[in-house]
Amino acid sequence: MKAKRTVITFGDMRVGKDSDRSKRTPTVRKVKSAIVPVDRIKVPGAGRPRVETGGSAVADLGAPTAVRPTLAEQAALDKIDLSVDLAPEHGGLMLANPIMVASGTFGYGVEYDEVVDVQRLGAICCKGTTLRPRAGNPPPRVTETPGGMLNSIGLQNPGVDAVIEKYGPLWQGWKVPVIVNIAGESIEDYVEVARRLDGVPGVAGIELNISCPNVGKGGLQFAIDRDAARAVTAAVRRATDLPLLVKLSPNVADVRPIAKAIEEAGADAITAINTLSGLAVSADRTRAFLGNTYGGLSGPAIKPVALRVVYEVAQVVSIPIVGIGGVTSLADVLDFMACGAVAVQVGTAIFADPELPVRLGDELRAECLARGLSSCAPLVGTALPKRAGAPSAKGAEYRP
Amino acid sequence: MTMRLVSAELVESRQILPGQWIQSFAAPELATGSRAGQFVHVRTGDYSGLVLRRPFSINTADPATGIVTLHFRTVGRGTEWLTRTREGDRLDMLGPLGRPFEVDPRSHHLLLIAGGLGMAGIRMLADEAVRDGRQVVVLFGAQSASNVYPSSLLPDEVEYVVATDDGSLGHHGFVTELVAEYEAWADQAFACGPHPMLARLAQLAAGRRARLGVAKLGRKRGGGKADPLGSTAARRKSFLQVSMEQTMGCAVGACLGCTVIGVDGPLRVCREGPVFAAEEIAWPNA
Repeated sequence: MKAKRTVITFGDMRVGKDSDRSKRTPTVRKVKSAIVPVDRIKVPGAGRPRVETGGSAVADLGAPTAVRPTLAEQAALDKIDLSVDLAPEHGGLMLANPIMVASGTFGYGVEYDEVVDVQRLGAICCKGTTLRPRAGNPPPRVTETPGGMLNSIGLQNPGVDAVIEKYGPLWQGWKVPVIVNIAGESIEDYVEVARRLDGVPGVAGIELNISCPNVGKGGLQFAIDRDAARAVTAAVRRATDLPLLVKLSPNVADVRPIAKAIEEAGADAITAINTLSGLAVSADRTRAFLGNTYGGLSGPAIKPVALRVVYEVAQVVSIPIVGIGGVTSLADVLDFMACGAVAVQVGTAIFADPELPVRLGDELRAECLARGLSSCAPLVGTALPKRAGAPSAKGAEYRP
Repeated sequence: MTMRLVSAELVESRQILPGQWIQSFAAPELATGSRAGQFVHVRTGDYSGLVLRRPFSINTADPATGIVTLHFRTVGRGTEWLTRTREGDRLDMLGPLGRPFEVDPRSHHLLLIAGGLGMAGIRMLADEAVRDGRQVVVLFGAQSASNVYPSSLLPDEVEYVVATDDGSLGHHGFVTELVAEYEAWADQAFACGPHPMLARLAQLAAGRRARLGVAKLGRKRGGGKADPLGSTAARRKSFLQVSMEQTMGCAVGACLGCTVIGVDGPLRVCREGPVFAAEEIAWPNA
C-alpha cells in the first residue's frame, strides 16, 4: 500500500486508474496488499505490479520444463525441421511437429486454452463427431485402472452441424490443423458427416473412428471386419477430398489385413490404436462399474499393445502411421517412431499433465539437436526388421 | 478467475477424524481467486501407476495468508499417496475449476447441509456467508459420533446441528430429517453429500413452496422472462443448490467423463457444476 501511494504522487496514469478501482472495491485492495510479500519472495526484484507476475512465477516453479536455451542454441533448435506430412499423396496435411492430441481427450481445442498454448501442437483431433447429436452413455463414464483408465463416454457430441457452426470459424483462425474425428452407425452416416465437413474452412482433415457398431451389419464393428473397414474407408474417400486418417482398433486377432484393406481403400494415413475393450467392477461387486458396462482402456497400460500394432502395420502398409497409446514421455514418442510411426498422439496423459504435448515437441526438437539430426525422419522405423514380416509373424505364434 | 496450473506447497497435514485429513497448501493464486463450491484437480505422484488427477473441493481459502485447505478421506491409492506427502512438498494443482455456489444478495439466512465428507463442499460457503454478514445454520449428518466434523473447525458464528445414523450424537436419524425445522427460516439452502441425501433434499425443496406458501424469490409479479435453466441468475434464485460428485477425467470439460443426468441431458460436473440448482438434475424416482 505504501508503494502504491508513492507511485500515485508521481501521477502515473495507469497506477492512478488501479487505485481508483481499488477504492470502489475495497476487498480487492485488501487482497492485493495481502499477497504483495508473497510476490516479492517468488520474484526477486520484480517491480512490475499485478497478480499475473506472481502467478506465472509460481507456475514456473511447478512446471518440469528444461532450462531455457541460449540464443545460439535456440537458433540451432529452430533450424530443425520437425514437420510431418500425413497425406503426401492427397494434397498434403502438414503438421509443424509430430505431436498431436488424441480425439476425446482435448475436446474441441478450446477447453484447455487457458493453460496450454494449443497453437504449438502438431495437430488437434477433436472429440468424436456424429451426424446427429448424441447424449452419450449413462454415468459413471470413467474410472482409473492400474496404469490406465477406462472410459465409455458413448460419443456424446452436439452433431456435426453444431460442431461446424460453433468451432469452424474459430479453427479457421488457428495455426494448428484441426482433424475432425467422425463416427457413425452406417456407411451412409460416415459419408454424410464427411460431406458436411468437406470444404469447411478450419477443418484440416478427417479421422475415421471405425470402432463403432455397424447397425446395417448386425452391430458388428467396422474395425473388426475387413470388408466393412474397406467399404467405409472407400465410401468416405469418395465423399471428400480432405486428408483421411483411419483409426485402427486393437480388438482383433490380426490387424494387418484390415490395415492393408484401409490403405487400398484410399486412406491417407492410419492411426493406431484405439482403446482396448475392458471392464471394471463396482466397489460392492454387484455390477459393472461403468454405466455402459464395457469401457475402452487407455493410458500407459496399453503402450506395449500399441507398439506391437504399429510395428506390424508399418511392415504391411506404406502410408504414414500415427502411433497412439500410453505416450507419457519423450521415450514413448521415440519408441513409437522407432516402430514406424511418423507422428504420435497424446491422450490420457493430458489429463494429468496438460502441458505434456507441447513439452514433448520441445523435447523432441532438443533430442534431434543432441543427435545431430536436421529432422526427425531418421528416427522413424529404426526398430523395424530389415526383412519385412518375419519377426512379426513369429510373434503371432505366441499370441493367446 | 481463470484456471491455471499452480505449484502448491504443503504447509500442514493433519488427520482430523479417522481416515479424514485436512491439508493446508500455500497457493496464493488459488486462495485469492477461488469461490465457495469450486474445486482443484490435484496431480498425484505417477510412480505408482496413477494416471488421473484427483478432484477436491476447496475446503477453505484465505486470501490474507494465501493458504487453501483440502479435506479428504483416504478411499484409494491417490488419497493414500496424499497423506504421505510431507511439509514442503509441492503439488501440481489445476484450478480453480467449476462454477461456485450462487447466493442471492437478498438471502440472509443460509442453510448448509452436509453429509459426511460433503462438509468439504460447503465449508468455504460458511466462511463467505459469515464474511458477508449472513446467518448460517450448518446441518451435518454422519454415521456415528466418531465421524462428526469437529465444531472447532467451523466459524464461531454458525449454528451447528448434528445428526447421526446410530444416534450416538445429536439427532438420531438422517440429516434430511432436520431440514423441516429450518426450511421456513432459510432463504436458501446449499448441500453436498451422498447422492441419496441430495435426492431427498431436492424432493423436500420441490415441495417447500406448497408447504410454506412462500413466494419464489425474484419473481414477485409472476411475470417476466424466466432465466434459462443453469444460468447464474437462475441458480441465484433457486432455493436449493447441490454440489455433485462424479468420477472425473480432465476436469476442464474436454473428456465428457464426469457427467450427471440433468433434466435437459447430460451435464458435466466439472464445467456446468459441480454446483447445480436442484431443478437442473434429473433425480431418480423424483
